[in-house]
Amino acid sequence: MNAFSYLDLLNLLGPETILVLTSLAALFVDLGALRDQPLPRRWLAGGGVTALGGLLAILWLTNVTAQANLAHGILVVDPLTQLVKVVLVAMLLFTVALSLRAEFTEHVGEYFCLLLLATVGMMFLVSSEDVLTIFVALELTSLSLYILTAFNKRSLVSAEAGLKYFLFGGVAAAFTLFGLSLIYGLAGSTNLREIATNLAGKGTDPLLMVALIMVVMGFGFKIAAVPFHLWAPDAYQGAPTPAAALIASGSKVASFFVFAKVMALGFAGIEGNGAWRQFAPGWVPVLATLAVASMLLGNLAAIAQSSVKRLLAYSAIAHAGYMLLGLLAMSNPHRRADGMAALVYYITTYGLTTIGAFGVVQIVERTGGDSLENFAGFSRRAPLVAVCLMVFMLSLAGIPPLAGFFGKFYLFTAAAGAEPGNLGLLWLVIFAIAMSAVSLYYYLQVLKRAFVAAPAEAAIAPVVSFMERLTLALLALAVVVLGALPAWLLGPIADAIKAAGF
Amino acid sequence: MTTLQSYLILSALLFSIGLAGALTRRNAILVLIGIELMLNAANLNFIAFWRYGPHPEALTGVMFALFSIGVAAAEAAVGLALIIAIYRHYKTANLDKVTTLKG
Repeated sequence: MNAFSYLDLLNLLGPETILVLTSLAALFVDLGALRDQPLPRRWLAGGGVTALGGLLAILWLTNVTAQANLAHGILVVDPLTQLVKVVLVAMLLFTVALSLRAEFTEHVGEYFCLLLLATVGMMFLVSSEDVLTIFVALELTSLSLYILTAFNKRSLVSAEAGLKYFLFGGVAAAFTLFGLSLIYGLAGSTNLREIATNLAGKGTDPLLMVALIMVVMGFGFKIAAVPFHLWAPDAYQGAPTPAAALIASGSKVASFFVFAKVMALGFAGIEGNGAWRQFAPGWVPVLATLAVASMLLGNLAAIAQSSVKRLLAYSAIAHAGYMLLGLLAMSNPHRRADGMAALVYYITTYGLTTIGAFGVVQIVERTGGDSLENFAGFSRRAPLVAVCLMVFMLSLAGIPPLAGFFGKFYLFTAAAGAEPGNLGLLWLVIFAIAMSAVSLYYYLQVLKRAFVAAPAEAAIAPVVSFMERLTLALLALAVVVLGALPAWLLGPIADAIKAAGF
Repeated sequence: MTTLQSYLILSALLFSIGLAGALTRRNAILVLIGIELMLNAANLNFIAFWRYGPHPEALTGVMFALFSIGVAAAEAAVGLALIIAIYRHYKTANLDKVTTLKG
């Protein structure tokens, strides 16, 4: 065991340290100094403290260049992880900006504290290549998100959503842990790269396949892939809207990133084959099955929804299916960097779009609810917000020149090029393109209500705060700009991947 | 049958009992107990693999088991809090009655 100085450790973990301290500060400021103040002021103060911590963390991440791999992958810091952490903290900041006018709780300090702790969990998740720290970080994220889901104590559905999320999550965590214990037994190590080395030559050992399926179950739950998706619609609908936005964006980003690492690094060598009619056991056919099921069920079930939050949940399930294509593209070690770049671009733009969509839903909710009927004539009641909604929905559907289109384009190109010889995964790409055509239908349903349908007689104009306007406009602008100039994001991602030697 | 195998059979049995409990019980607290059993089955695996593995001096398995015991405790705390929140609204912990969200 090499000794390392705590000062170096602080240098590597600066952003996480700042966020943990901020979470304590948010708690103390709210419970200590502001206890008797009116609620809006407490939200503003808590949000201010959190935003300050987040901005400091982003400054640290972008200015302090550090690269290290401590104690066999327990802590990995390289340009790629730093970039993904910047994305995570940015998503936290947008979520905070959207919660400033929230009315669902009086426990302001605890709310911000949990948001921050969930983000810290996600950041550790991104930074580890050791299954022990991955498991602990995964649980830190999940436990914080369970509580955030159930945070609206007055609401029956919020408590129900929290419990369902927790019970599914608990079983999934148990499966992951059991799978990891088997992998530890087979490989004798918890480091991803050592696992891959030690597993090489084991072929398709039955115990290894059991372990693989169990690990995939745990991560499949986190990314809400069919058939482990059952919690997602309930959690999205029942959770307070800003909490749902974080579950749909930040948690997705971190889980997909670490899932990709576990599969591509830890299970390198047992990919199997997913080419049409040449299937061979390994993780590629398993993930291909999940991808097909997610795209099919997500898109078809979304059509039948009347609650827009549920619709977004099923759309998230479908998007998880598309994103799994990025993981499949990483099955070829020579093309791994392409797949990773496409995946990181896609999850980043998707996360930003989803936060925006939830922000709009939150504004519509103030006029009565989140069903499609509440969107009727929305463009006449709040024109700017409705335009933002249009940008988000069209980007989710994948219409050029928005970010969603280029995300899909890079992802599908990477997947189709993964097996250069025989176009192995082309069948999956064709299926994905067909399914994204289906998805256009339900996104346009929402837009039709908002722009074409006449408003109801008693419809009232929603109250939109300046902060919400600013956040939504910024998010919509980001979606347009990253779509029109994808190199602005893809360039740094490609550089980071190269520098990280992925 | 080696000693390691008998430990693995015991842990597989524990895991199955836990899963069966989690899937069939209607009371949220009993489901939580099932989940705890599954986690403990994995802990038993870690200890057995550590003890009979090639590198018992590395202590990785013990560390993993210790961490997962801590995580399981935190999970139980959060789970019980959520069950209390459900009980406040529904006046029951029976999962068959908690069915407002559908679709």
